[in-house]
Amino acid sequence: MPRKRSAQLAAIGIVAALALVPFLPGATDSYGFSFLFFVFIYAILAQGWNLVAGYAGQISLGQHAFFGLGAYTTVILWSDNYLWGSLYDSHPLIYYFDPLTMFLSGLSAALAAMLIGFPLLSKLQGDYFALGTLGFGEIVKVLFINGGDFTGGAFGVVAPASAFDTLRPHYWVGLGLTVATAVAISCLTRSRWGLALTAVRDDEMAASANGVNILLVKVLAFAGSAFIAGIAGSLYSYYIFHVGPDAIFSLDWMLLPLMMTVVGGTGTVLGPVIGAALMYAVFDFARIAVPEYHPVISGLTIILVMLFLPRGLVRIDLGRLQFRALRSAGARR
Amino acid sequence: MSDFPSPEILLQLTINGALGGAMYGVAAVGLSLIFGTMRLIFLAQGAIIILAAYLVRALFYGAGLDPFLGLPVIVAGGGIVGWLIYQTLFRKPAGMEDRNISLLVAVGLMFLIQNLMTVTWGGNTAAIVTGYTAKGIGLFGIRTSFTRSLGFLIALVGTGLVMLFLKRTLIGKAVRAASEDMISATLLGISPHRVNAIAFAIGIALAGAAGVAVATTFPFNPFAGFIFSLKALVALALGGIGNVAGALAGGIILGLIEAYVQYFISGGWTNAIAYGVFLLVLMFKPEGLFSRPYKKA
Amino acid sequence: MTDLAVAYGDVQALWNVSLHVDAGKIVTIVGANGAGKSTLLRTISGIVPARSGRIAFAGESLLGRRAEEIARLGIAHIPEGRGLFRQMTVRENLELGAFQPRARPQMKRSLERAYALFPRLKERIDQKAGSLSGGEQQMLAIARATMSDPQILMLDEPSLGLSPLVVQSMFALISTLHEQGVTILLVEQNIHQALKIADYAFVLNTGEMVMQGAGADLLADPQIQKAYMGVLE
Repeated sequence: MPRKRSAQLAAIGIVAALALVPFLPGATDSYGFSFLFFVFIYAILAQGWNLVAGYAGQISLGQHAFFGLGAYTTVILWSDNYLWGSLYDSHPLIYYFDPLTMFLSGLSAALAAMLIGFPLLSKLQGDYFALGTLGFGEIVKVLFINGGDFTGGAFGVVAPASAFDTLRPHYWVGLGLTVATAVAISCLTRSRWGLALTAVRDDEMAASANGVNILLVKVLAFAGSAFIAGIAGSLYSYYIFHVGPDAIFSLDWMLLPLMMTVVGGTGTVLGPVIGAALMYAVFDFARIAVPEYHPVISGLTIILVMLFLPRGLVRIDLGRLQFRALRSAGARR
Repeated sequence: MSDFPSPEILLQLTINGALGGAMYGVAAVGLSLIFGTMRLIFLAQGAIIILAAYLVRALFYGAGLDPFLGLPVIVAGGGIVGWLIYQTLFRKPAGMEDRNISLLVAVGLMFLIQNLMTVTWGGNTAAIVTGYTAKGIGLFGIRTSFTRSLGFLIALVGTGLVMLFLKRTLIGKAVRAASEDMISATLLGISPHRVNAIAFAIGIALAGAAGVAVATTFPFNPFAGFIFSLKALVALALGGIGNVAGALAGGIILGLIEAYVQYFISGGWTNAIAYGVFLLVLMFKPEGLFSRPYKKA
Repeated sequence: MTDLAVAYGDVQALWNVSLHVDAGKIVTIVGANGAGKSTLLRTISGIVPARSGRIAFAGESLLGRRAEEIARLGIAHIPEGRGLFRQMTVRENLELGAFQPRARPQMKRSLERAYALFPRLKERIDQKAGSLSGGEQQMLAIARATMSDPQILMLDEPSLGLSPLVVQSMFALISTLHEQGVTILLVEQNIHQALKIADYAFVLNTGEMVMQGAGADLLADPQIQKAYMGVLE
């Protein structure tokens, strides 16, 4: 299929171009650089939500809890008082984007998801599950605020200062993770697991009649999305150094990626990425152009998109293509 | 363990908790109607209540209109606004099969209102001070806030009126019927859009009333809207969906839980415990504390 | 003069079904389970959109109209499962039957008429509909449908879940209504009874119309007897 090949080549080309951006002169100081970094973070979060909501059909409103869990895990592991703080002094660079730490951050989030996911998903459907995750998110926040010395209370935990003087490594890791999650989702949907996922989403009864363990599929998807959110949180913590409960558990970290996925197209591989890029551009542009009113733009955008483009941007072309195909098929008769 | 608190303190907690909880209850009644007809969790309810509070405040400081005297205006305005919100924003998503779309529109609305408030009035806490906001009255031998008691009265009357509407008028019965089985209601000639719009109108009118109560009782800020929505949802879950009186009762119970937790444990835990209760009820008694489990005839 | 003509093709459930109902007649649609009979009624009443074709009622087209509009034209549909509001009382269900603007002024009279036809309902007037027995629920559903003084009454599997004796009295009821001038479109699995009271009948099989004719003729038809009656014995 020539169209697919050229699309793939284009994607690889874009990724390569993006990877080379940090080498451009003056790039690392430019505003666009951190802009892209944030797009990556949001894209990763959005992809995670896409997994549980777009593919498994379970609307989770608790992604911010997993994001925060991941961030906290990373800084707690490396902060002065705890586990590896002493290692840091002797080997500062190990701290950075240490795969083990990031993996553990994702894992802690995934474990939490499984812990809360089994009871919630076995008893709650649809809207009620969404509500449950919302409540769960708030509970996690309060737990961290009241976590005493271990979580730093309302102030939070501070991570070691940066050993790098630019954002370049952050950028590359962000880009890498964005690509990795997109590829992972793409492979997943082509696999048997992916079929199980969409089967559960589209018709639970038929799926279970075919021997799919519905609860397991849902929980694993939920845990998977939590894992991804946790990794995003870990990445973010490397940028921000200070993880405090109010900021890291802010609803924005849940609502914005959700919005971005929906705008881009739930249930598609590129939807979250495109949505993240576009929406973040819109918000940031609004922030510069109409500084007093810019927060209003986000709400307005969701509403407009939902009313006029409910299936997302990525699907616009598909719709038109299908329409054309139907028309020509009809003409042939 | 410290000394067990005196009966007066317990009574004080109970009364304050119940009075405060009634506000959640009123919000929950609105949510109940909207969920009943549209199966939509209207997350923007809290934000609208806070918006109403800000408007009440603006009217008071700007035009000298006393909040409680302005109540009828706010409620009527709320009804009209609710109708309009449905027709412009939710009419189209209501017809779509994917119910998440209306949910997302509600979320967007919540965002929009919250940010509008921040932009217009700033992110700091606001409050109203009138000649009587500091006044206390005696109730069952306890001194409690005058405005809070008025707020409770508003909640009671509001809920009562809604119940009368639902039970005694034909349109109200149509709303109940549509909540139970929309398709069968349609077959009788009941228009879903009309019923939805009515539910919205009443829901937002109630939000207006709650806004008056909130404005006169405690300080508020633009971000309180979401928490309020969540608590209204907790109240709704406690009372049982479709049970209007239950929604008010659920709110009162939530208020009691909050008051007690705040006193006996600490203020920081009230929210977590409230949500914990919420999760438990959702999982183990989704029909609410008051209803009997649905019998499939 | 009411006249219902339906002709359409629907990729999913029905293929080029054509039928017509003349005013004042009882028309029955019979067929095995899953034959598409319910879908047919649902398409007429507007719950399910038709892919193509024509549906006309008293000269007006029903295609693309909203279900509540169609109901207000005088087409009463009692769905499979009766569609009662179980949490609401018998009286409230009946009142809602007369919800339509043109029926509302007559509500009192319609209620009296319903009580006369269905005395058992009057006894249970303030009970919740869900607490009634199967037969009573079916009666309530029919009574509720008559509250709007419909031109045509469509019943979907009214005998479902009812004991034979109750089924008898229900079909007698349908006959009575017919004598009062109501046009009836009946979808039934109980072929014997359905064909007995029908003026005209259509047989549906996996979404297609396979046979049609006068009720009595079809009843005597050996093909029908072999295919369907044997099963019912």
